[in-house]
Amino acid sequence: MTTATTTIADEIKLEVKERRPFSLAAFLKNRWFLYTVSLSAFFGIWTFVDYTKVLGNGIAAPNAVVVQIFRLLTDTIAGKTIFGHIWASTHRVLIGFSIAASIAVPLGILMALNRYINAIVKPVFDLLKPMPPFAWISCAILWFGIGEPSKVFIIVVGTFVPCLLNSYMGIRLIEPQLYDVIRMLGGNRKDEILQVGFPAAFPAIFAGLQISLSIAWTCVLSAELVSARSGLGFVIIVGMQLSKPALVLAGMVVLAFVAWATTLLVTYLEKYLCPWKREAVAL
Amino acid sequence: METNHQHKIVCWNITKIFIQKGTQRVHVLDDISLDVKNNEFVVILGPGQSGKSTLLRIIAGLETPTTGKVLLDGKEVAGPGPDRGLVFQSYMLFPWKTVMGNVELGPKLRGVPKRERREIASYYINLVGLQAFENHYPHQLSGGMKQRVGIARAYVNNPEVMLLDEPFGQLDAQTRYFMEKETARIWETEKRTVLFVTNNIEEAIYLGDRIISLKGKLPGHMHKTYEVNLPRPREHTEMKFLELRHEITEASELTL
Repeated sequence: MTTATTTIADEIKLEVKERRPFSLAAFLKNRWFLYTVSLSAFFGIWTFVDYTKVLGNGIAAPNAVVVQIFRLLTDTIAGKTIFGHIWASTHRVLIGFSIAASIAVPLGILMALNRYINAIVKPVFDLLKPMPPFAWISCAILWFGIGEPSKVFIIVVGTFVPCLLNSYMGIRLIEPQLYDVIRMLGGNRKDEILQVGFPAAFPAIFAGLQISLSIAWTCVLSAELVSARSGLGFVIIVGMQLSKPALVLAGMVVLAFVAWATTLLVTYLEKYLCPWKREAVAL
Repeated sequence: METNHQHKIVCWNITKIFIQKGTQRVHVLDDISLDVKNNEFVVILGPGQSGKSTLLRIIAGLETPTTGKVLLDGKEVAGPGPDRGLVFQSYMLFPWKTVMGNVELGPKLRGVPKRERREIASYYINLVGLQAFENHYPHQLSGGMKQRVGIARAYVNNPEVMLLDEPFGQLDAQTRYFMEKETARIWETEKRTVLFVTNNIEEAIYLGDRIISLKGKLPGHMHKTYEVNLPRPREHTEMKFLELRHEITEASELTL
């Protein structure tokens, strides 16, 4: 309690220290000034590259991309507005992600709790683990055709590994003395798993889900780039085929935004479900 | 083998050898025999690497002795159980449970109905002085407060014996003095047979009816036993306290 007050006091002291009379050197070292420099340089170089046509017609200026994004809100591509395409990709991500999570998380937990299950699953898992998910695209198309199942399959394959590994490690890295507490209080093996195993592994399982979700977006994009009639990957491909760099970049920006938004959703879900976690480690 | 029913705990020729990496043998305890009377406060004093924590874990039933036996009320200890309350050096609270959730866990596991177990838990939370913090999570508490929760959680099952494994080892010196006082107060209110492990001589004299000192390095073995015949509450600066402190310091390797 006392420690909390001292830290706040220290913070105030720091703040007070920062309020000095204006000096150019201090201004140039200011964090916000440097942020502005960084972003202006980025957009400046981007505009310059477009203006000088170094990349030919392969790039669009930032303002053109923004205009394109606004036009996407009303225009349709292959009979769908941008929201239709966002939903098409999100739909695939959700299905693939749910299938992978509902198999991989319980399997990882079972592997951590039972060494026989571990001994049976582990060799096959280790064999397939280093395979990049995109290596499966050709197989997926051969097996499932170019429809929805092949895209979902890629996502399942890509998200399975981090889901399983994180739930496995989550259970494995639990402080063994926490189990001792349960045993001393008269609990049995079932109590050890329910009272310690699951809640202690929960943050790690959630970290796995979060990593999986961002991988799912990478997977859905690559699957859509190969073959699709809808989705954000399809929008990007259409832009490429029509030689419209503004459309390509607009598709990329929307994709990044949607992927970020879904990850944020998981972060808030975790905060809601694990109120005991300290909020110190953000980002 | 005699079994004296006056004794709450009897340790009889306990030896412990850990086997590491399949072949390496680590001899941790060598021929430890001791007994603790009912409601006696016994401190096991020893330097680091003298096997004192292992001894406590054997009495708790979390480890099995390589040779020898532990008797509790004349019956051999076969495993961990709620008749012994254990307080851990590093607290071992459940971070996902509130203070109340941590303390009521014992009765919950024994199937005590909610209202009843809340009542028992509240009593012990009050006893350790945390009545205003029932709904706080462990990370919101200071070290001393965390260990108060640890003590309440061990007491709540109404154990025959309290086992404390260097409970104040992670606290700063001031908090430590205060917690020692609190421990003495709690023990006076709720008398139990206590085995208290520490490496701190003053803590041992302040709390113990009797001090059993172990000698390290591994394997730890019995060294000396001291009776502390000082009236409670004790003062660290009393003449007799200081004399005993001097005597123990002289006889042990702790001053290094």
